Formats: sequence, structure tokens, C-alpha cells
Amino acid sequence: MLDRDLARRRFLVVIRKTAAVWAGKATGTLSRITGRGGGTTLPGDVARAIDPKILTRLAQDLTYGSVVITGTNGKTTTARLLSWLLEGAGHRVVSNRAGANLIFGATAAALNRAGTDGRLKADWGVFEIDEASLPKAAAEIQPRATLVLNLFRDQLDRYGELESIAKKIEQALSAQPETARAILNADDPRVAEIGLNLSHKPLWYGLDDTSVASKTLPHAADARTCPRCGSSLIFDAVYVGHDGVYRCPKGDFARPQPEITATDIMLDGFESIALSIDGTRIEMPLGGLYNCYNVLAAYAVARSIDLAPSYIAERLRTFKAAFGRQERIEFRGRHLVLVLSKNPAGFNETVRTAVELANGKHFVIGLNDRKADGTDVSWIWDVDFEQLRDHASLVIPAGVRAHDLAVRLKYAGVAAEAPQTDPGKALDLLIKSTSEGDTAYLLCTYTAMLDLRAELVRRGWASPYWET
Amino acid sequence: MGLAILGNMKFTVGWLYPDLMNIYGDRGNILTLLRRAEWHGFEASVVELGRGAATQMDEVDVFFFGGGQDREQALIYDDLRQFKQASLQQAVESGAQVLAVCGGYQLLGHYYQTADGERYDGIGLIDVRTEAGKKRFIGDVVVLSAIDGLTPSTLVGFENHSGRTFLGPNARPLGKVLKGHGNNGSDHQEGCVQGGVIGTYMHGSLLPKNPHLADHLIAGALRRRGGGALSHLDDSAELAAHGWVLQRAQRR
Ligand SMILES: [Zn+2]
Repeated sequence: MLDRDLARRRFLVVIRKTAAVWAGKATGTLSRITGRGGGTTLPGDVARAIDPKILTRLAQDLTYGSVVITGTNGKTTTARLLSWLLEGAGHRVVSNRAGANLIFGATAAALNRAGTDGRLKADWGVFEIDEASLPKAAAEIQPRATLVLNLFRDQLDRYGELESIAKKIEQALSAQPETARAILNADDPRVAEIGLNLSHKPLWYGLDDTSVASKTLPHAADARTCPRCGSSLIFDAVYVGHDGVYRCPKGDFARPQPEITATDIMLDGFESIALSIDGTRIEMPLGGLYNCYNVLAAYAVARSIDLAPSYIAERLRTFKAAFGRQERIEFRGRHLVLVLSKNPAGFNETVRTAVELANGKHFVIGLNDRKADGTDVSWIWDVDFEQLRDHASLVIPAGVRAHDLAVRLKYAGVAAEAPQTDPGKALDLLIKSTSEGDTAYLLCTYTAMLDLRAELVRRGWASPYWET
Repeated sequence: MGLAILGNMKFTVGWLYPDLMNIYGDRGNILTLLRRAEWHGFEASVVELGRGAATQMDEVDVFFFGGGQDREQALIYDDLRQFKQASLQQAVESGAQVLAVCGGYQLLGHYYQTADGERYDGIGLIDVRTEAGKKRFIGDVVVLSAIDGLTPSTLVGFENHSGRTFLGPNARPLGKVLKGHGNNGSDHQEGCVQGGVIGTYMHGSLLPKNPHLADHLIAGALRRRGGGALSHLDDSAELAAHGWVLQRAQRR
């Protein structure tokens, strides 16, 4: 009797899982056909409604397990780097690629790769997960490794304050079994604070090259004080935002010594970076110091699962950036570089890279305030747009909140064009005001990027993002 | 630009705890005060008033006090009372202006009471008290200003707070809420004005999109030095951003 009950229950679980997979997959197909975007999260909603445990069940089908990636900036690029490394080594990888990094996106991605028998046919899961969703996602996915990249202020309207996000991440990592590895950025004081509180020692990584560091914190720096005593931290090097080499003057808190470090860093605009990790020289077609962090993080995970350094270096040479993260598009003889920039720390770095390293002259700055961008745009006042003054010859404020940007640029002393809330008109103005052969940088928040890109797609200059 | 007679006059902004209380783009308020004072013909500068003994507080024309995260806010409670309270009071009595946003607004009042009933004393510079609420108020705010002669008469901003602030008899509201929640979500009031002190939940940042309020603060501070009317500036960009928020509020 009991055995029959158990068998029946198991049967029902399989049926439910299969039904959830089928319903989810059908939803995905439908939303692609009807042109409602790439079907990146809706299938996840549908499947989770039928079987709330669907993500756990699918994750258990993976041959080797999952890596979960969280943090404010760099999730998509780092996930893509890691998938690239795993795929090159012959693994089948499932990942939530189109920037749909909530738990529904992860579920949808897993569904997409499940077979008609309801089983997920892949070796590895690489999931980028929003900081706020981490506890739930990690509990469901039960990852082998969790990577925490950084913690900057971002979308305060949605996530609440940095402090509560840090607590959530700590809670998620503490709940994991001893076999799961936490891989953390030692250069970020908030991330370090989390890691130092854990009972299992994390794997720390960090940059180690003061030639690319500055001495002073930017306006956008958040973690300025010691988590133990509240004193102002001393920064001996600042790399990106508040990420750097720091210590408390009272001696009760300091950057943990990283096991995996990047040295001899060379930066060449948005074109390329070169860095040495553990004596392995890596050169690759991605730009900006912030991408050194992403590469280092992906390397740390790859090493923790025993991919060979020489293989990693060779494979990364041919990496291609994800949608909107330094995408290059030819547009009527102009070279467009699309760079997603969504918060002060990220924006400062992309502006710095465009101005200082790439000698950029032509810019479209896109600001939207939809849910995915964050509905509060006050953060633009923490971005150092002053960097554009005396360098840029054309700056077009674009997006839903183009008028706010125009005011920001005015007070930064930057002579900008009239604000363009219509993406088509922004592109028209760009073409009119630049010459063939010019390079223009489109620095945009998430949905502002989607809008501009959709316009490029409509005009036939780019392919829809879910096909890239 | 500006009146020749004011040519060499100084204008000083005092930024309270710039490193700890600057969560919602508060730098926008500072930049707006500085740039506009320059455009009006003054020699503008900022004094950063961080933790520890503060100097130069008597030179300040307009103080700005922004919002912080809970942890940062906790770090300044004692410092505010020990090192800033007396000289801030003195400055206000002698005609300096204060703009306090969000956390700064709460700290200038009598107290902030948490959901557990625990009270954190403010410095009582303004007659307001704040209690923690359950729901967080987040979104656009449009206010019909109660300040005489302000043109346009609207103020626009963005709120993000769970505190409910109530005004005592000595404080007047900054304005009437047309859109959003304001002080407490129940009495349709937003912010407070008491003498030269303005407290508000509106950021966004506030002053860049409300240049008339910025000039009101600058003019108010200069009155004690016998400063006359400010020169007229081209505010078309600022008012376009202001108008955009108004338009959206009407659409919804
Ligand atoms: Zn300390």
C-alpha cells in the first residue's frame, strides 16, 4: 500500500514536471511567434505556476551542476565568459542569456533546453541572478559555486538599500552546504564583509596592479566605512567604484588577501584588455578595467572546476561580447559601439573608457526609467559626466528621461544637443551630426538600449537580440 | 552675468556629511546651488562638513543635508549633536538657509521612531516627528508649493521612504501633494518650511528640476547680506525636465 502510494507520488511528480516543461516551452514559442520579445521570462512564469519546484528538478538533471553569478555589475558578461569556456571544453551549457536574470529567466532558460521527456539535457548551468533573488534562486538551484562580483548602489527603488542586499547575499551563502564554493571579489569592501562572516573560507580574487588604479574614491563610491567600527576606510588603490585595496585605520578590517590575482594589466579602449593571472597571459577583445574583473572572476570559477590555464587563455582570445555589452554595429558607414551602462559605478567606467582609452568624440547617452532600468533617475547626478567636457564634440541626450540628462549635462558644463525622447530621432540626429568613418558610443540603460536597438533592427542594421 | 555690484560676493554651500549622506543623487542639489550662484555672478564654493569638529559653519549661506542608508545614518547621530547642532542653530538664526532631504529631513526633526517603538532623537531644528511605516512610498511626486511667489508654483521630485512625518504647529508644509504620497500618505502634505529651513522627501535630484526653489534658497540666504534680486537665467532645460514630470503625472 505504502509502496504504491510512493510510486504514485513519484509518477505524479514526473507528470507535473513534464507538464510544466511542455507548457513553458509552448509559451516561449508562442511569444516568439507573436513578436513579444525573445520569450525570456514568460515561459518561466507559466511552468512555475504548474510546478513550483520545476527549477530544482531541472537543475538536478545537470551532469555537473550549476554556477550562480550575482553582483551589481558584470553578471551578464561574466556568465557569458564562463559559458564560453565551458562550451569550448565540450560541455553543454544552459544559461539565462538575454539579460533576463531574475529567477523566472533562469527557469525559462532551463525549460528551453529540456527535452520532450521533461529532462534538462545539459552538463552545466550558468545562471546570472539578481542580488535580491539570490536566496530563493540559490535554494532552488543548489549551485556548486556562487560568484559574487561586486555591490554598488543600483536601482534603489527596487532593491532597497545596499545593506539589506548584502544581508540577503550573506544569508544565501550561509545556507549553502560545505560542498558549495563561494567565489568572491576581495576588492569590494561590502563583498569582503560578507565573505569574512562565512564559516567556510571563500575563494578570493582581486586586481593587483596599481598602474591602473587611482588614489581617490569617485562620487559614486558607496562602501566608504568600516563595517566593524564605522571609521572611514583608507584606500591605497581604487580600481572601479569602491573596489580596490582598502583597510580600516583602526586595524579591524582590511581587504582579504586574494588567492587569484590579475597583474600587468593593459587597456586599449573598448578594443581589448590584457592581463596576467597566475602567470598566464590573457589577451582578449573586451574593453575597460571593469572587464578585467569579469575575466578574473570567470577565470577563478574555471580554475575551481579544473579547466587548464593554457586552455582558458586560448579560448578567451575569440570571445564575443553579449548583447548591448560592447556590441559593435555598422550604421550607414558609422561605427556604433553599444555599451550598457546602468548605475553610477558602471557609467563612470564606460564614460572613462570611452573618453580616456578610446578617445571617443561622439556620444548618445540613453536614460529610461522603466522598471528594468530603475524608476528613480537621481543617480545620474553621481555619474561624472564632467569627463565629457572638453573631450566630446557631440553628445545627444536620449531616452524617456532625456530631459533630465540634458539638465545633468548642462550642470556638468557639457554642451549637448537638444534632448531626444524618440529613439528614431536620436539616431537620425546622430547620423546627421557625424561623418562616415566616425565612431559613436551609445551608453544606455537597459531598456533605453532595447529601444535604440529595436530601432536599429527596424531599419535593418542589427539582428533581433535573441538571435545573437 | 549677474549684477555688477554683487561681482565679488561669495556664496558658500555647506554639505553635511557628503560621504555618508548622499544616497539619492544629492550631489545634484549641490551642483545646482553652486552653478546657479556662479551664473548669478557670485563666487561660489562648497564646504564639506564631515564627521568631527566642523569649521567654517558660520560662513555657510545654504546648508544641504541629504539622505543616507541606515548604517551610514546611524554613524552620524552622535556627531550631529556633538559637533554640528549648536553652530547649525546659530547659522539658521542669523539667516542661513537649510535644505534637508529624506534622512536629513528626519534628523532635523524631534525624533524618528522605528517599527519596534525605539526612538532616535533628532536635533529638533524643525517641528516635525517621524514614525516608521509599513509600506514604502516610491514614485514621482508633484507638489503645489506653499511658498509665496514661487514660479512655477509646482515642485517635482521622486520619493522613496517608509518614514511617516507629521508636522507640529511651528512648521508649515512645503506644499500640497498633487501626485505621490508626501509626508505621511494621509494628510496630503509634503515637506516643511520653518524659518529658513526646508525639509522634504523629494529627491530626483530636487533642485536641478526645480530651479525656482534653488533660487529661492540662494536669494533667501543673501537677504541677510542685503543682496537684491537675482538676475534672470535661461531655465528652459530645467523647466523642460520639470514639465515632463508634470505631464506624466497628468497622463496617469
Ligand atoms: Zn574599523
